Order: sequence, then structure tokens, then C-alpha cells
Amino acid sequence: MKTCIACGMPMQKPADFAGGDVTKDYCVYCARPDGTMQSFAEKRAGMILFLQKTQGVEEAAAAEIAEASMRKLPAWQAQFTKGAADGDAE
Amino acid sequence: METTRLQQKQQTRQKILAAAYRVYAQKGFGAPTAEIAKEAGVSHGSVFAHFASQAQLVEALLEQFGAQLGEGLHDLAENSADLQSLLRAHLALLARHEQFYLHLITEKGQLPPQAKLTFANLQSVAAYHFGRVLQHTAAAQNGVPPHMLFNTWMGLVHYYLMNKELFSPDAPLLPRYTDELVRTFLTLTQMGEEPR
Repeated sequence: MKTCIACGMPMQKPADFAGGDVTKDYCVYCARPDGTMQSFAEKRAGMILFLQKTQGVEEAAAAEIAEASMRKLPAWQAQFTKGAADGDAE
Repeated sequence: METTRLQQKQQTRQKILAAAYRVYAQKGFGAPTAEIAKEAGVSHGSVFAHFASQAQLVEALLEQFGAQLGEGLHDLAENSADLQSLLRAHLALLARHEQFYLHLITEKGQLPPQAKLTFANLQSVAAYHFGRVLQHTAAAQNGVPPHMLFNTWMGLVHYYLMNKELFSPDAPLLPRYTDELVRTFLTLTQMGEEPR
């Protein structure tokens, strides 16, 4: 089973994949409306919003969790090796 | 030859992780590594040949535990169309790991940073699936925010777990209280709904 390279979600059925395309490595939630994958800054902001909305996590704590999760995901490795995540990555 | 050696190395690593799970579940994360080695049937030195420190062992274990539990939760939630079946599925899954999970939530302040992340990721998987179903409840329609509904459920479950000595000192808690916890939360979320 594939897991999304950008958020780690398991992708089991076609509807889980971006645009329903099972050859894609990222999920429906990590795709932009045009089907391309969200950027680091977009995904980071989306994760923070998700943590705030679904669990009431405070903003700075949410940012810490979002970055710690992204650090482990294949899509964002380059961002961390070049230190782009230091401070507020845009 | 190389493959066999690699496989053996992998098997020993898994054996140590499985033993660590059992020992920590029983005694908490303060249990000595010598005990884990004994439980795994390997020498104490072998533990450190696979993990540079106890912190690394705990991190590897939590990462594996988080991935397995998260996947299990995702699978169960995909098949739970209504709130009642989701709540039951959630507790059934936690019940399989009750002792280990209880140590994780009570000791996570003293654990390596990975513990905080494992816990946060598990909460996110649960929160995502709960959010889908909770939005249809009367409580949500009446303006209770999604995070408060989710946190109320987690608060209830964790309160019972963390006070296990009061509620179920001699037996696993979750199987015993599942019906009552689920019934109570369902009633609370349905308040304000027109009686059918």
C-alpha cells in the first residue's frame, strides 16, 4: 500500500489519490485544485490549520508538530537539508 | 550470505522491539534495558549493537507503534460510517494496547521528542476521522466546535485510563467501560436533537 509522500496518509482506494490517479505519490488532500502537489509552505500552513481546527492545538505548538511530521516525509527532505524550515519557511 | 546476515540482523532488531513493547507495557518506560534483553533472549550488549542508546530504542519503538496504530485506526475508521461504530472501533483498537498506551500518555513528558510526535500523529489520524462523523451530530449543528467535541471524547477516555486504579484496578479498563463511555458520549452529542 502506498502512503502519501507529503502527509503520510495511507492511500488505499483511487479516491485517496490526487485526482483519483493511482500512479500519483501524493494524496487528494495534498493536491492543489489544478492537480499539482502543494508547496512546502502551503502544506505547512494546511497542517497547522488542521491541528488548530480539529484538536484546538495552539498555533506555535501546531507549527512545531507540523514541521516535526514533515521532517519525516519523503516530499520535504530537501527543505530540511538545506535548512529552509528554519524560522517561518515561505 | 549477505542477505541472510542482514535478515538475521533485522530479525534480532524486531525481537528486541517486540520485547521492549512487552516490558514497557508492563512496567513503564523506566524499565531497564537489561530486562528487555532478557525478555528478548539476547545479550545486553546486543541491544546496544542495534540501538545506540535507550532513547533510540524508545524512539524506534514509538515510531513503529505509531505507524501500526495509525494504520489500524485509519482502516477501522474507513469502515465506520456512524459515530457509534467509530467510537467502538477506536476503543477496541486502544484496548489491544491498553497498558502500553496508558504508559505512553502518562509518561510522555519524560520521553524523547519522538513520543510527543507519535502521540500528536495518532491524535491527528483520530481527529480527522472523528471530524468527518462528528460534523453531523446535533452538538455540532448547535455550534459546538469540532475540536471541543473531539477533545471531550479524548478527555473522557484518557481520564478513565489515567485513573484506572479507581475504575478498574484489577482488570483491563477499556473492555469494561466501552459501553458506558460510548453511550454517554453519544447521548451528549445528540442533545438538542428532536426526539424521533
